[in-house]
Amino acid sequence: MDVSKDLIAASATPLILAILKQRDSYGYEIIKQIRETSGDELVWTEGMLYPVLHRLEENGFVESYWQASEAGRKRKYYRIKEAGLVELEKHRQQWELVYSVLRTTLGNPEGRTNSDV
Amino acid sequence: MFDLEMNIKAWSDYLRTRGTLAEADVVELESHLRDQIDDLTSSGLNAEEAFLISVKRLGSVSHISEEFAKVNTESLWKQLLLDPIDPAEKARHQRSILLAILLALLAGTAARIPVLFGIKVGSLTYLKNLSFYILPFIAFFLAMRSGAPVKLRGVLAGIFALTLVVVNLYPSYEPYHTEALSAIHLPILLWFVTGAAYMGRGWQTSRARMDFLRFTGESVIYGSLLLLGLIVLTVFSLTIFQTIGVDLEPFVENYLLVYGGSILAMATVYLVEAKKSIVENFAPILAKIFSPLFLLTMLAFLVVMAVTGTSPYTEREFLIGFDLMLVLVLGMVLYTISAKNIHDGKNLFDYLNAALITVAIIVDVVALSAIVFRLSEYGLSPNKLAALGENVLLLVNLAALLVMYIRYFRGRSQFQAIEKWQTRYLGVYALWMAVVVFLFPLFFRFK
Repeated sequence: MDVSKDLIAASATPLILAILKQRDSYGYEIIKQIRETSGDELVWTEGMLYPVLHRLEENGFVESYWQASEAGRKRKYYRIKEAGLVELEKHRQQWELVYSVLRTTLGNPEGRTNSDV
Repeated sequence: MFDLEMNIKAWSDYLRTRGTLAEADVVELESHLRDQIDDLTSSGLNAEEAFLISVKRLGSVSHISEEFAKVNTESLWKQLLLDPIDPAEKARHQRSILLAILLALLAGTAARIPVLFGIKVGSLTYLKNLSFYILPFIAFFLAMRSGAPVKLRGVLAGIFALTLVVVNLYPSYEPYHTEALSAIHLPILLWFVTGAAYMGRGWQTSRARMDFLRFTGESVIYGSLLLLGLIVLTVFSLTIFQTIGVDLEPFVENYLLVYGGSILAMATVYLVEAKKSIVENFAPILAKIFSPLFLLTMLAFLVVMAVTGTSPYTEREFLIGFDLMLVLVLGMVLYTISAKNIHDGKNLFDYLNAALITVAIIVDVVALSAIVFRLSEYGLSPNKLAALGENVLLLVNLAALLVMYIRYFRGRSQFQAIEKWQTRYLGVYALWMAVVVFLFPLFFRFK
């Protein structure tokens, strides 16, 4: 399945925030997790991920810190902030709204809404 | 034998030379590359294969830096200057150069039009219209590049046309003070209008305005360099033709300066806009070198004034000098603010900037009291009122900046707060310039 570029861009913020809500993470791991969770359907490019991460940081939704990896390399971790959790919740509600409208509409082939019945 | 370390280093160094990435970004990407390589080697690839695949996956370097350029605060503009690699990009690049040359020639011709109507180059009427010869063309060029929406372009063109008509319909009587004030304030007002063309769709956002400030600062630096070149060329041609007994002065005055000037202005804008990478690392350094020097000069000025007891209250030149200095210092402060990477913590230059602001406030208060003194002593005049307005605006600006810097130093607010406030305040300047240009002549009966 080919997910459209627009949808990937629109879903990047909530997905990143959701991952960071689970635990602090870094760029490579985030991409990997997205790919694995989606069964290789969602493949993000680095060129897309890092700018979004940095923008989230600039907006105060996440913060970053450097920590050594197992191999002793410098690695930049991201941690979600209070504002990020609020933002994530906003995104969740929006996605749920869109999804529920889509589901209801698809479930009513006549084009009627529930109230008509 | 494939040297993995050396290749990774070469790759990250290449990223560095692109200039769009901060050091932290490069380290982050390098760590990403290494993670990828580790994963691939553990699944059975050798170092060279793993390296090649990882680099490929990360995408072309120009693509990465282009993406980064979009978020890096310094560089809304950098996305435009990446060396064109693909043919389509190259063609666009060439079109842009052609457009710049064409517009420069048009601007030069526009600057010749008043001469046909018997207006001398260098007369007040000519100078008053100076901005119309060149700024509309620059605005057009910038709007093409920023992809400003048609509606915005229409509005901007309308403002230019309306201003042109109003300014030239206004009569002017002795001693021509309001006309001279118009001539001084109009370019600044129209530069803001040109700024909207530069910013395009996002002209109301703080980031776009910050970029515009940076663009302005860099244009000043580049423009001065090019101006030096033009002066050398002028003097040189005058001299060599003199040796063979030809007086080149009429030609210089009527053509070389007019066309040279418009080409210079267009070239400045083009260079700053398209070749930013060259100035990019150079302009912030200039700001850092000169802000301490400005601070010292202003301190010395205040001390000498206090010691010698010379009062700026009586000397008119003194006041003008004060104002010039203040504008320069504010420009310096703004430029330093706009050149700061908000990811950096507070550093020495923030404190220097705050010190500069403090001294400027003192100078401004002295200037203000002198203006108020002159107003009460000699009565109202257009010049004094304009100076009063500008000094009050500057004082409010400087005081607010100082307050916000202190809050920032104490960790009470973020640096973006300073940028946001400052970019919103720009509108106040534009408004005041409009008042001086449009309302002052009416108020003072065009004298």
